[in-house]
Amino acid sequence: MKVIANLDVCQGHARCEDICPEVFATDAVEGKVVINQPEFPPELEEKVRLAVRNCPEGALRIAKGGAA
Amino acid sequence: MTTLQWQPSAPDHVPADLMVDFDFFHIPDGVTDPTAIWHGLAGRGAPPIFYTPRNGGHWVFLRYADIVEGYRNHEMFSTRGAQVPPIEPYPVLQPNGVDPPQHDVFRKLLAPMFTPLAVRRMTEGLQQRAEGLISGFAGKGGCDFVKDYAAKFPTGTFLDLFGLPEERLPEFLRLSDTFFRSSDPDLRAANLNEIYAVLEELFREKARNPGNDIASALVQARDADGKQHTWEDIINCGFLLFVAGLDTVTNTMTYVWRYLATTPEARQQFRSRMDDPAAFMNAIEELMRINAVSTISRRVTHDCEFKGVQFRKHDRVMLPNTVANRDASVFRDPQAIDLDRTVNNHVTFGVGPHRCIGSHLAKREIMISLQEWLRQIPDFRLADEPGSASVFGGPVMGFETLKLVW
Repeated sequence: MKVIANLDVCQGHARCEDICPEVFATDAVEGKVVINQPEFPPELEEKVRLAVRNCPEGALRIAKGGAA
Repeated sequence: MTTLQWQPSAPDHVPADLMVDFDFFHIPDGVTDPTAIWHGLAGRGAPPIFYTPRNGGHWVFLRYADIVEGYRNHEMFSTRGAQVPPIEPYPVLQPNGVDPPQHDVFRKLLAPMFTPLAVRRMTEGLQQRAEGLISGFAGKGGCDFVKDYAAKFPTGTFLDLFGLPEERLPEFLRLSDTFFRSSDPDLRAANLNEIYAVLEELFREKARNPGNDIASALVQARDADGKQHTWEDIINCGFLLFVAGLDTVTNTMTYVWRYLATTPEARQQFRSRMDDPAAFMNAIEELMRINAVSTISRRVTHDCEFKGVQFRKHDRVMLPNTVANRDASVFRDPQAIDLDRTVNNHVTFGVGPHRCIGSHLAKREIMISLQEWLRQIPDFRLADEPGSASVFGGPVMGFETLKLVW
C-alpha cells in the first residue's frame, strides 16, 4: 500500500506529521506535506490511516499496490 | 424562533423564516462561557443558514460542511472587506485580506517562517519565556492568569519574532489591550494610528539594520520583478501578525487553563503525558477543538444561490469555528472532551488557502506553557468562577480575567 498527497489541496496543517512522523514531514519552504515513505511498512498502517483521516483538507489518500 | 424585538430593514432577499435576532458581541447575564451563545442557536430554532440584522446584518452558517465550504470557495466567499460589522475603509491585511492568487505572494513569503521545523527551532526561546514568567508567581499561591501569563506570553513571543527588545513589552501590552478590548471610538482610532506608526518605524529601522527576524525578512523580500514590496503591504502584513497572533493565543490559553483548573482528572492526564509529546499534543488538539475562540467572516462576491438560499453581492457570512467543531455529523460524541480522541478534524485554525499560518506556533506556545506550568504548579483551581461581566463575545471570544489559586 501507498499513501499519496494532493499538494494542490494540502495547506500545511501538518496533522499528518504530528500523528505519523515516520512517514510524513513538512517542507521548509512552502510548508506543505512531504511523504518520506510513500510505500510504508505494514506496522505503520494504522498510524498512516489515522493521519489520512485527520487531514482537515482531505489531501491524503491510500492507494492499493506499490507502483502508481 | 425568537421574535425580533425591533424591526430593522431586513434585506428583501432574506425570507422571514431565515431571520434570527442574534448579536455575537452580546453575552447575556448568567452566561460564563461566551461560546455558549453560538451553541444555543440550534436550540432556539435557528436554521442551519440564517440571517441576523444585528451588526450591520450578516448570515451565519451552522453546519460543518457549509463552514468548510465558506472557507474554501473564495470565488463565492471572499475575504476582502469582510469585517462584521462593516469597517470601511479597512486596511487590506496581507495576506489575509486578499484572495488567491494575489494572496499567494505574502503567504509564500511568510510560509518558511512558520513551518513545523521553523517553530521547533523556537522551542528554547519559548521554554525560557514560560519558565521565567511562571517562576515569577509560582511561589505566590495565585495569579490573574490573563494579565500575568496569557497576555504576556504571546506578546513577548511577537517581540522575539519581530526582533524587538524585551523592554518594549509594556508598550505592546498596552497597544494590544486597547486594540482588542476598547470600545471607545476615539481611543480606537488613536490606537490604530499608534500601532501603524510603531510598525512603520520598526520596518524602517529593520531596512537600515536588518537582523534575523520576520520584520527584516519582510523588508528584504523582493517581488517577481525584483523590487521591494510596497510599504503599505509590508506594514499591513506586520499588522496582520499583530492582530492574529496575540489575542487568539491569549484567549485560547485562558479557556484551556479555566478547563484544567476545574477538571483535576484532565490535569492528571496531561501530567501523565509529560514524557510522551505525541500523546500530549493529541490531547492539546482536543482542547483546540473544544476551545475555538475565533469566528471568521467572508463577503459574498456576486448574487448567487448556495444550499438553496439566495445570497446577494456584499452580504457578510460568519463561520463560527466553535459550532463546526461540535457538529455531530463529523465528531463522535461532540460535546464530550475526550483527550484520547483519535479522529479530530477540527477547524479551529480554519481550512483552505487562509488556514492560520501560525497554527504550529500557537500549538507549541500552548504545549510548552502547559508542560512548564504543570512542572511548577501541578495543581490549581479557580479563585472564583469568572462572572458574565468578565467575559466577552465578538470575533475573538474570551475572558478579561481568570483568577487562579494553588
